[in-house]
Amino acid sequence: MKRINKEQLRDAWILFFILGIIMLNYPFLEIFNKTVQVMGIPLLVAYFFIGWPISILVIFFFSRSLTTKGDKKEKDPLESL
Amino acid sequence: MIPTGIVTTITFLYFVLLFSVAYYADQRRKSDRSLISNPNIYALSLAVYCSSWTFYGSVGRAATSGLDFIAIYVGPTLIAFAWWFLLRKMVRISKEQNIVTIADFISSRYGKSVFLGAVVTIFAIIGITPYIALQLKAIAHTYNLIALSPPSAVDDYALQFPTFIDTALFAAIILGVFGVLFGARNLDATDRHEGLVAAVAFESLVKLVAFLSVGIFVTYGIFDGFGDIFSRFLERFPERADLLLLNTEKVPYSTWFTLTFVSMMAFMFLPRQFHIMVIENSQEDHIKSAMWQFPTYLFLINLFVIPIALGGLLLFGGDNSAADYFVISIPLQANHPWLALFVFIGGFSAAAGMVMISSVSLATMILNHLVMPIILRIPSLASKNLSRTLINIKRSAIMAVVLIGYIYYKIIGDSYALVNIGLISFIAATQFAPAMIGGIYWRQSTRFGASTGMIAGFTVWFYTLLIPAFCRSNWLPNDIIDHGLFGITLLKPLELFGLSGFDMWTHSLFWTLFFNLGCYLTISLLSTPSATEREQVHKFVDVFSTRVPQIERKRFNKAPSLLEFVELMTKFIGEKQAHAAISEYLGDRDIDEKGSVSENELLTLKSFAERTLAGSVGAAPARIIIDNYLVTRGSTMEDVFDIFGSVTLSRTSSREQLSVLYESARAVSGGDNLNEILDNILHILRQQFKFDLCTIRLLDEERSLLTVIAQDGMSTAHFDNADRDLTMNNYVGATFLTNKETVINDVELMKRSQFIGIIQREGIKSFAHMPITIEGQPIGVLSVFSKSVKGIFTPEFIELFHSLAVQIGIAKRNADQTEHLIAAREQRKELQIAKTIQLGLLPLKAPDIAGIDLAGICVPARQVGGDYYDILPTDRDTIDLVIADVSGHNVGAALIMAETRTFIHSKINENYPLSVMLNQLNEFFHDDLSRAELFVTMFYLRYTLGRRTLTYTNAGHNKPLLWRKATEECEYLDTEGMILGIKRNVIFEEHQTVMQPGDILLLYTDGIVEAENSQGDFFGIERLSALLNEHHTLQAQQMIDTIMQQVRLFTGLHSFVDDISLLIMKVTD
Repeated sequence: MKRINKEQLRDAWILFFILGIIMLNYPFLEIFNKTVQVMGIPLLVAYFFIGWPISILVIFFFSRSLTTKGDKKEKDPLESL
Repeated sequence: MIPTGIVTTITFLYFVLLFSVAYYADQRRKSDRSLISNPNIYALSLAVYCSSWTFYGSVGRAATSGLDFIAIYVGPTLIAFAWWFLLRKMVRISKEQNIVTIADFISSRYGKSVFLGAVVTIFAIIGITPYIALQLKAIAHTYNLIALSPPSAVDDYALQFPTFIDTALFAAIILGVFGVLFGARNLDATDRHEGLVAAVAFESLVKLVAFLSVGIFVTYGIFDGFGDIFSRFLERFPERADLLLLNTEKVPYSTWFTLTFVSMMAFMFLPRQFHIMVIENSQEDHIKSAMWQFPTYLFLINLFVIPIALGGLLLFGGDNSAADYFVISIPLQANHPWLALFVFIGGFSAAAGMVMISSVSLATMILNHLVMPIILRIPSLASKNLSRTLINIKRSAIMAVVLIGYIYYKIIGDSYALVNIGLISFIAATQFAPAMIGGIYWRQSTRFGASTGMIAGFTVWFYTLLIPAFCRSNWLPNDIIDHGLFGITLLKPLELFGLSGFDMWTHSLFWTLFFNLGCYLTISLLSTPSATEREQVHKFVDVFSTRVPQIERKRFNKAPSLLEFVELMTKFIGEKQAHAAISEYLGDRDIDEKGSVSENELLTLKSFAERTLAGSVGAAPARIIIDNYLVTRGSTMEDVFDIFGSVTLSRTSSREQLSVLYESARAVSGGDNLNEILDNILHILRQQFKFDLCTIRLLDEERSLLTVIAQDGMSTAHFDNADRDLTMNNYVGATFLTNKETVINDVELMKRSQFIGIIQREGIKSFAHMPITIEGQPIGVLSVFSKSVKGIFTPEFIELFHSLAVQIGIAKRNADQTEHLIAAREQRKELQIAKTIQLGLLPLKAPDIAGIDLAGICVPARQVGGDYYDILPTDRDTIDLVIADVSGHNVGAALIMAETRTFIHSKINENYPLSVMLNQLNEFFHDDLSRAELFVTMFYLRYTLGRRTLTYTNAGHNKPLLWRKATEECEYLDTEGMILGIKRNVIFEEHQTVMQPGDILLLYTDGIVEAENSQGDFFGIERLSALLNEHHTLQAQQMIDTIMQQVRLFTGLHSFVDDISLLIMKVTD
């Protein structure tokens, strides 16, 4: 995995947080809000139950790149926003 | 159906299992092998979020309104993205500040406000207790579902209870006891409750496994997988297809958004969540893995919600009235009672975890923010040891919270109010969000803003959610919903101010946040935070930045001792705890337990004691306890006068110091008058630091007194006896003698009390003396006095004070040197005058007299000298020659010389014989000379021109040379006679000789024969006579010039050590 520097990481966090909120709200949800089925499962349900693990996976990968080394000196990540 | 006895027994055994788990975890903790200090356990314990409301309610919601239940879980998943910032910050702050509840957090953030703590507590109780009732109801209801039908079955081995004790009460009591045992072992709430957490984590695991079991059973046991359920459902109930869609009548997007948002906030700020996430967090690192583990848990527990809901609808013919309990009723229906029992245990776990943590958390709040503030105001309790009482109050509070939940359940029962209480609680918790999030990111937020916002939010919350719930339950007239309060349409609780078209949750969320945030932001901007708040802001907002240790600007008068702090802590948290705390504190510090503690150390100790107490009773009460205690024992914290302005001391002190020093240095260099300089320095000092009196005393060596030479602010009464003896008996004297500063930060603590009267009369509170030194040696003392503040003299100030004293020393030295220079210049000028006058007293030019050639010179070694020669022609064809040497070369000698001359001049025409002349001179001078300790040597000659006779007499002077042309040799003229001024009645001999033409008479003073060269040889009489012999052909003046030149050559110097005089008379005809 590419080494991500702290600043990029922080920005990525914010980006994904906002992206998550967008993807789980109107109007984004409207895309999937149809009476269509995917392999016998309603599209919206499938979207939730596939999208959800994906977002967890994203958190998982990001949490791995978090470091608590030199924690004492670490700045509040939101400080410089 | 399962016999009651078996359900009871299994439930009881499950309890025993939970107790064992909790007990085991506590034991592990004691042996320092913590079980719960583990990221997986942490993630599991967070699942206390999934109470029975979600365990059973999700399926119910899915079956009745549709997909909105997902929002309740998607919210926490989304907020998990922010944990690394938000949650970690909350954890860090709480650990550093020993925070124990969310009420404590908010109260502590906003200046340890008692009021705010109470507000949060009351709202939490109102918001959460019904939620506890809901859990008890779920337990009772599901118990009845699986056990009571048929009631008659095998009742004989079931325990018989009186009818008023129902399942819910039984559950309530057991859960309460559990909370007491594992949540209120001791009073130190910061001490994590590992047993409790272990039990909760275990329960989370059980409820997940239970839910997954029933999910798999329904999906794959009864139906043929997900696809099968969906297709059969859509086939059978096509009209209910909107259960699988959003933007439906029941779940518009606004509701979806509201639920997502509210669940995010609730997850972060419900008291039980705060407790388990923040207070029970053992390592910040655990957050990292919990960030994905906990959402995974939520995902798994929701995976089968839709299949179960749809399956239930299929199995029960579309009846969704009991959909909340599909998870139990489906296995029962399918004749799998043991699975149903397992699910019951799962649901019980969900409820139990929530009840236990909520009750412990609420009880802590009640104790710290409602009970403590009252207890602390009862004076009779002040002296008692309260630790027992307090822990018992906390235990009672836990029981009380659970039992209030029970009573709530009994009274309200199945009413509408209870069904929706889950979301109502969520929106209540959302009201803490502005104060919490603003509290850790927004510096400007104030206590006033936070409390107003929260009260406004909760008022609207109450009006838009609880009032309608009460109306629907028929406790209040439905008119309020339909026509508004007092019939005012604008006050319809569900369409407040005419806002219609939204579901009640969105409506309520909008208005509560509108008022909450609005008040919070506006009032925060309009108000200014107090000093305590500002201090707290720093600790909260800047918790991640490296902080310069704050230099305390307060100090104690009458400082309490270490032991007193220990006693105080013992009173509230028990002896064992207090001693453990203090020994931990002392561990890395260099104080012995009985020894005195330095002033700075005391402040650290005080804040340590406060933090320790805060860990047990909350920040606000801890502050009150400490403050009350200090007030009772008469010590108060005083503001240390902020010498260097309100900016941080360490960073800018040097600049301020420099400015003061610069000002005074300018005064030192600019002024030419010492008094003016000193006045200026004192003025700068007094003005900058607001002293009441500044003085400078310098040593008066003659009187051994330190006398005031400059002062600013001294009262006249004081002025008269302001000088100090140079003894160790007074501070000023001691400062001078030890050459070391004296600093009295509090006059009440001082030892030397000789001047206590003056100090009291003048109302002085603190003072300091600093020796004024020149090159390290004390010459005086600089003193400053303050009548208003104690503890003004910080090390920084002392340093500055020292520099000022040094500058005063420099000013004094400069002044002394200037004085010397001026004096010397004056003296030199005067001596110049004296020299001119003295030279004027010598013959300006040798008189031209026929038959003799005369010349004389007098070269004083310094400005003035004691040599004298004179040529005095008389009216009787004679000429008197005098050469004299007054001992010394100073002004005294010059004066005597002048006096001698005057005497001789006045007597010259009296025609006394020479011996008489000298005798008279001796008599005349004797007293003057002996008084001045001077003497005079003199050679007096009288030459008669016609007869060329030379009469002479000597008063101890060097013998003159008489060079005889005939023999070409020198004779020495001499007579008996004593130096003038030694004794009276001296007889001076008088001799006579005749000079021949060509004879040369040389008179001289000892300066010439004693002129010394670098080898230490004298010029000597031989050299002089040889010179005379050699140059006898020269004229008198040339001869003198030659002799002087030779003497100079001999010594190698241009000037002479002694006065030199020469007088030459050459007989010409």
